[in-house]
Amino acid sequence: MLHLSRLSRADWFGPLLATILAILLIQSFSASFLSAYNIEILLLAIAVNALVAYSQMVIIAIGQMNLSVGAIGGLAAISFAGVMEVWGLPAPLALLLALAIGALAGAVNGILIRITGISAFVITLATLSIFKGINLGITEAQPFYGIPESVKSFGASILFGPVPLLVLPTAIVTLLLWLMLRRLPMGRFILAVGSNEHAAALSGISVGTTVVAAHAISGLLAALAGVLVVARLQIGQPSIGDDWLILSFAAPVIGGAILAGGHVSTMATLLGVVIVAIITQALVLFSIDPFLVQVVLGAMILAAVGLNRLRARTPLKGSH
Amino acid sequence: MSAQDLVPASAGPLSPTGGGLSRTRFFLSNEFGLILLIAAFVAVFAFTTRGFLSPFNLFSLGRNSAVNIMIGLSMMTVIVTGGLNLAVGAIGVCAAMVCGWMIEVLALPWPLAVLGGLALGAALGFVNGWMVVRTGLHSFIITLATMSIFFGAMIFLTRAESFRAMPEVFSAFGKMKLATYLSPLLLVTLACALLLAWLYRFTVTGREMLAAGANPAAAELSGINVNRAVILCHVLSGVLAGLAALMLVTRNGAAIPSMAGQLGQDWLLPAFLGPVLGGTLLKGGKVSVLGTVLGAFLVTMLTSGLLMLQVGAFWVQTFLGLMLLVAVLLDKARRSYLARRNLA
Repeated sequence: MLHLSRLSRADWFGPLLATILAILLIQSFSASFLSAYNIEILLLAIAVNALVAYSQMVIIAIGQMNLSVGAIGGLAAISFAGVMEVWGLPAPLALLLALAIGALAGAVNGILIRITGISAFVITLATLSIFKGINLGITEAQPFYGIPESVKSFGASILFGPVPLLVLPTAIVTLLLWLMLRRLPMGRFILAVGSNEHAAALSGISVGTTVVAAHAISGLLAALAGVLVVARLQIGQPSIGDDWLILSFAAPVIGGAILAGGHVSTMATLLGVVIVAIITQALVLFSIDPFLVQVVLGAMILAAVGLNRLRARTPLKGSH
Repeated sequence: MSAQDLVPASAGPLSPTGGGLSRTRFFLSNEFGLILLIAAFVAVFAFTTRGFLSPFNLFSLGRNSAVNIMIGLSMMTVIVTGGLNLAVGAIGVCAAMVCGWMIEVLALPWPLAVLGGLALGAALGFVNGWMVVRTGLHSFIITLATMSIFFGAMIFLTRAESFRAMPEVFSAFGKMKLATYLSPLLLVTLACALLLAWLYRFTVTGREMLAAGANPAAAELSGINVNRAVILCHVLSGVLAGLAALMLVTRNGAAIPSMAGQLGQDWLLPAFLGPVLGGTLLKGGKVSVLGTVLGAFLVTMLTSGLLMLQVGAFWVQTFLGLMLLVAVLLDKARRSYLARRNLA
């Protein structure tokens, strides 16, 4: 029994149970849910949304928030498409440039928050507007169409079976993030700063470096998500990232992340993304209005924060 | 921006006590800095652009700032409690759409429809406040979720269609000019601002709201019903957001689901710019209605002036973001200056 109760304490346990239940339930109502085509669509959505969620998760881990995730992703996306179309740069170079822009934009957030001591909310609200404005100023709200064939084929090709190639970068990032938060000093520093900044500083952790690094990682992940969207849409849309805000918070929170910081789980966040994708897809399958997706997302955030709170209140039995 | 920089320096050597204190404090206040900035930018734009002071531009400036100030006031009422309301845009659009629906589908007279819209704003605000109080969670995550829920429900129910057959009164009110360049919308906004100033200064309810924001535990111990105060603040915010959206309806002549952008996100920046520029503390407990009005007016004026300078509509957003950054930095500098001189 003790074993089971400890299992149920793991962050990924609840979301995993919910995922399996949701899959079984939807499959029993609609046989086409687990068709190869549907799985491919699901995986494509998960590939991008997981990166968006990780981008927010890293910031939630240090107990802050990043409203500019979507704006950074959009800026990186149009830079990626733009330098390929206008300057004719090869795709790998454009990718590096886009990722660098994302990391830099994130680092700017971190540095501003750290130096000024102003809340992350206000700083990232301001930079959200700045990054989005730069995006619109460059593109004048017109998409870049000149995406090279190599990028287009990357976005459209299949790894094996129903698994698209776009899943690969996300899978690698998931592993790296999991490794970082579990094993690497930087990941432990991030969690330590998130749970108690003062104690972390007293233990010799450089809080400033950690905060800036977390924001740079967040920017990098957002930029990668933006690049993947460009590969998938085969067009550099300036509006990429506009609708990431709710989603970026929904998945980590559904995965049990505590907004006060210090407690996140990569796997649980991934499961949060999967749950959101499954439910969105189910709404489409049962031809329920797609407009309702927003309502369901909001309701899921509320339910998840409520549950997390209940879980935090009930004390852990047994030695731990 | 430099004008506000100069404020502390030009105040000169100060005596921390004595009769000059209140005047010195006024010169060091946000409001005075904003007035200086507004005067400076009016002068700049009057010389560098053609037609900035034309009656038409002054009229549209007044009309736009009426909406922006109202949005700022709507956010301010929740910031007072130390929380925030990301759902201002979503609530506003919901209120406007209900008003349009009551007129077009239910064929109700327009005053009733306006009341219906405002009542919905109040109800949605109440939902926010009630959930914040009951769950004890920060209003950020609650209003993030309700922003998605309200907006999604509105889009679902309206099928993303506008209500365009609004009665003539609406667009006539939006176009009306008092004394050739004054929009009556601005008068409505200023009346609301005056009421709010009166609320926070002279009424028990207003003082309770401020106390609940400054220190909830202390307020509770002094016999204030903190939960009730927080819910009231959210209701007030919902009503003001509804009013702002109805003003937009009179300007556009239609209730449009996208008038505050995706999920009402387009209102977030103006909503925070006004109160933050005006010196309302994000931690709660301190409020400046005059500052919010001046801050939102400054933002509207700068936007209009920049557009007339042909900076390019797309860069204005970058500029507003930079402005929010500069504003919070200056405010921080001013506060530490005041703290050093024992003035605050």
